[in-house]
Amino acid sequence: MYNTAVRPALIAGNKDYKQVTGEIAGPSERVPAKWWFVAMTISTLALIFGLWAMFVTVVRGLGTWGLNNSVGWGWDIINFVWWIGIGHAGTAFTIFLIVFRAKWAASINRTAEAMTIFAVMNAALFPALHLGRIWLIFFIFPYPNTRGPLWVNFNSPLFDDFLAITTYLLLSLTLWYFGMLPDLATMRDRATSKVKKGVYGFFSMGWVGTVKNWMRYEALAKVLGGLAAPLVVSVHTIVAIDFAVSVIPGWHTTILPPYFFVGAIFSGFAMVLTIMVLIRKAYALTDFITISHLESICKVLIFGSMVIGLAYATEIFIAWYSGVEYEMFVFFRSRITGNFSIAFWIMVVCNAMIPQLLWSKKIRSSLTWLLVISIIINIGMWFERFVIIVSSLAQDYLPSSWVGFTPTIIDVGIYVGTFGIFFCGFLLFIRYIPIIAISEVKGLTRRVPDDELSTNISDKQI
Amino acid sequence: MKPIDKDIVGIFDDDRKLVGAIGKLRENNITVKDALTPFPVHDVLKFLGRESRLPYISVLTGLGAATLTFAFLYYTSVLDYPIRYGGKPIFSFPSFVIIIYLVTILLTFLGTTLAFQLRTGLYPGKDPEVLFPGSTDDKFIIIVGEVGGMTEETRALVNRILKESQADEIFEK
Repeated sequence: MYNTAVRPALIAGNKDYKQVTGEIAGPSERVPAKWWFVAMTISTLALIFGLWAMFVTVVRGLGTWGLNNSVGWGWDIINFVWWIGIGHAGTAFTIFLIVFRAKWAASINRTAEAMTIFAVMNAALFPALHLGRIWLIFFIFPYPNTRGPLWVNFNSPLFDDFLAITTYLLLSLTLWYFGMLPDLATMRDRATSKVKKGVYGFFSMGWVGTVKNWMRYEALAKVLGGLAAPLVVSVHTIVAIDFAVSVIPGWHTTILPPYFFVGAIFSGFAMVLTIMVLIRKAYALTDFITISHLESICKVLIFGSMVIGLAYATEIFIAWYSGVEYEMFVFFRSRITGNFSIAFWIMVVCNAMIPQLLWSKKIRSSLTWLLVISIIINIGMWFERFVIIVSSLAQDYLPSSWVGFTPTIIDVGIYVGTFGIFFCGFLLFIRYIPIIAISEVKGLTRRVPDDELSTNISDKQI
Repeated sequence: MKPIDKDIVGIFDDDRKLVGAIGKLRENNITVKDALTPFPVHDVLKFLGRESRLPYISVLTGLGAATLTFAFLYYTSVLDYPIRYGGKPIFSFPSFVIIIYLVTILLTFLGTTLAFQLRTGLYPGKDPEVLFPGSTDDKFIIIVGEVGGMTEETRALVNRILKESQADEIFEK
């Protein structure tokens, strides 16, 4: 009855397997272009700035930050939530690919996973530094200790958070690394220098691609992907519970977990979009990361934006409907109007309104627009965390303890430093590892029915 | 005639040719020892006739992990050092759920990954037995051989089938 248009080929250009290998592995084998060195230098400078700020924090203590008695969670927790949100995209792509079998995700999965790892590493840094005495971090491990027969508080969402992030980082690393095995083997077999052959050989675990190993490999991917799905939902849920179990107005709501989770996927996809637009240009991978791939990301962004907008509206409605004056104060007198209204309206415009432009196909297919909108979303998401954390803490029940919040150079330094970690790691990744899963993409290049093998392969990709 | 204990290796440039060859070989009751492909070719996997048992290991580790985590939480929070937090009961199962959930995922994925490595024998630094370098690029390789070797007759048949299936190269190993 219905005639649906067959979706366009996932990989353009009608390539054979050799071309696929060559075009994806090629950039990792050549000496990178000038932009790579420029970017690396900037990232290293940012990293050095961050290391200095962290050094000062550890040596002199948390007094160097802009925190005060009322605003006890400031830039550190804002940035923690921001980075971990960005980190959710990689795992989301893995789930799309492995659990939902959305094959288009194959071209983006590897890069998004790499992003996840560096983002989660950055996120983990903030609570660790916030401990003040980072050398006592082992106190959080549950072991019967010499401090009396005391165990950690297993009922605390902060402990759950520690466990969730550790598990998440390990699982993401495993997914990423094992997902790379066949490609590392390809790099090993292509390598010409002895050192490269040795290093790729070491990490490729002696992979040659026997049928039985492929079978087990796919089973492993399914299990890991299947486990990642519930995990990724739980990670940001627990981050939200950190807030929701407190009695601070504006935090103490049950909407926080789903709202945080969708926000995380939203900001993560925006970051993936930023990076994909840049990388496809820099590495000439336009056949593998097509406009249709970018449009698919945009559709997720529109969905996320609408859910976020709904969550903002719901929060405001519930604050009024509950009749709790403190809640009403936070939303109406502190956020919508008042001290934090600028941040609040930046958040609403960047997250709920501007992404609606992506309904237009013209904007969805324009790389400049995509780049701009994706960066705007990440700025908006940063302000969302700022609004949630600072506005609730700065003006709560007791007007005598109302304060403002100003970050110090050390706060800014650590934040800039995490960009250094992220981009240094990312640039090294795109320098040495094929940024698209070669073996996954090969399975997508030629999907014509067998009886058409000898006739006309071109233009018949399904 | 005495069987010769050598495998026949055929190299193809297309997965469908490989699949065709395996089909024909199996029609003639010839054992396909192994195949090497640059990406998972599902028709080849089907010929194995069975699925990986890795998920069973995952289920078992998962159940074990969940039980152990619950036991650990019960021991620490109820038996070893009972302490009330926020007026909640000492045995507050709902707050155990999150930890059981997370530790189950953690141990299950570690266990499954370990099982994968043990079963495939892959570990970092292992020397690859590269038969033909193209097998990780664009070549599809078939290894035909039987325990105790194949007779001259069978070898001729195998060679013919591989040739008919448009193998680029056929050699003995």
